[in-house]
Amino acid sequence: MERALSSEVTPVTVGSGGPLDNFEALVEQHRPRIFRFILASLRNQESAENLTQDCFVRAYQARDQFRGASSAGTWLMQIAANLVRSHEASGRLKFWRRTLRPDVDLSDAGDWIPDRQMSPEQMAAAKQQVEEIWKAAGRLSGKQRTVFLLRFVEDMELLEIAAVTGMKEGTVKTHLFRALKAVRAALERNMK
Amino acid sequence: MSHHLSSRQISGCLIGAGDPSEQRHARECAACRAEIETLATPLAWFRTSVHHWSERQLREGNPEMASAFETAPVLLLTPESLDRAWYSNIIAAIREAIHPPELPPLRLTSRPVEVPRIWGFYGGHERTAGAYSVLIHAAVIALLFVLGSVKPVQMFVRETATLIAPDLKPYLAEKRDQPQPHGGGGGGTRSPLDASKGKLPKVAPRQFTPPRVDPPENAKLPLMPTIVAPPDVPNIQATNYGDPLSRMGVPSNGTGLGGGIGTGAGGGVGPGKGLGFGPGSGGGFGGGAYRIGGGVSAPAVIHKVEPEYSEEARKAKWQGTVVLQLVVDEKGRPQDLKVMRALGLGLDQKAIEAVEKWTFKPGMKDGKPVPVIATIEVNFRLL
Repeated sequence: MERALSSEVTPVTVGSGGPLDNFEALVEQHRPRIFRFILASLRNQESAENLTQDCFVRAYQARDQFRGASSAGTWLMQIAANLVRSHEASGRLKFWRRTLRPDVDLSDAGDWIPDRQMSPEQMAAAKQQVEEIWKAAGRLSGKQRTVFLLRFVEDMELLEIAAVTGMKEGTVKTHLFRALKAVRAALERNMK
Repeated sequence: MSHHLSSRQISGCLIGAGDPSEQRHARECAACRAEIETLATPLAWFRTSVHHWSERQLREGNPEMASAFETAPVLLLTPESLDRAWYSNIIAAIREAIHPPELPPLRLTSRPVEVPRIWGFYGGHERTAGAYSVLIHAAVIALLFVLGSVKPVQMFVRETATLIAPDLKPYLAEKRDQPQPHGGGGGGTRSPLDASKGKLPKVAPRQFTPPRVDPPENAKLPLMPTIVAPPDVPNIQATNYGDPLSRMGVPSNGTGLGGGIGTGAGGGVGPGKGLGFGPGSGGGFGGGAYRIGGGVSAPAVIHKVEPEYSEEARKAKWQGTVVLQLVVDEKGRPQDLKVMRALGLGLDQKAIEAVEKWTFKPGMKDGKPVPVIATIEVNFRLL
């Protein structure tokens, strides 16, 4: 499978004063990616916006602690993953939050498909498959979902994911295998 | 590698964890590549759809928020004191309460300075202002007094404030002319002698022991004998119980039955029936049954028989109303029919014959059926 590393993953240029000197540029560069990850994890636009903002605030507060051991993108993604985890933990109690704004409709998320000379039937099938993946991802556990999204939406390598989640590479692999198994099962169910 | 990849190996290839030989096989073997593609293609679509969705959401989202951070990131930061967790605040407060931190001695570095008077808006005329204030207040109060003493004002006030004696009648409990329940009682122990003279026992709402002329001497459970009668029942002074209306003689409980004293039946005193005193029935005093009222409900007719016309009355074209008095007993049967207002020509007899066949819902007292005196008008009309 062809997978080109997107330009977003390239580490931010190290400034003259410090590693995160040009914070505005960092925000501009990583904001869409962080937002995408959080949005895919939480499926709530409002929460995703808030958490993205939180993520950069925390990064700004802790910018002195960033030693440059990993790329800034990995570091930011690490903060985002932690935020998502703690948000999910608190969200279990704050169930009323769900009432503030209904979660994003899945059909809304899957309404775009690259229409490369596809027939309407194929389009519908593809849409359905994407929806199935969405649903399956929603059923995954928190860790599995995070790993799955990082791998298949953000196209991160296993080692990178391990750095973001703070797990060992083997653990990441196990989680990915399980997540993929669930998604596969959902897709096969859909085909039948 | 000749054999195809297992599903786990396919997953490994997708994840990026397959070893080089597996990945090579995946590239070369068409069947395995197709197998991988069935999973990889939806995942790629999924990836694109998420990217697209996120971009759209970002565009539709709050643009101010995005720009606010980029221009002034520090403004959005919460102060350190607010960013602490709630429990750490509590712990810190408890710790401070137990061990107050030693603060450096307070050094006063400020000095009092001369400031203009706070109540400066009188402009230095406080005295006159105070005097005027007192004067104005006094004048207003004096004016009120003067007005109060003027005749027309007094008249006006008196006219408007007319006191009305409120009519309390709707609020007062209606005092009804409560007819005392009439009734009677009787008893006896089938003695050959008539009941002897004596006092009546005490009056109580319920009877536990009927009176006896010769009360048992060593009763296991001594209980005061009572009758059920109104409190103002006539009585005489005597040492032993008996019928106050009887003659003096050898102490006897009388020829009646059912305990008690007298010729009647039941636990009362006298010729009647029941727990009271007198010739009536059903407790109480005097003669007859209970009367309607005073807690006694009226009996209601259940079954009615129309009276016939007598031959003489029809011939004489005689018509009118016969008033009958009767006692409706506990079972709702008419008893003791008496003609209160006669009509003659055999109609009274016909009325009695008809009413005797009537059935009633008996009158109730305290939830129990009791004999009740009732009056019935029987109309005789020629058509």
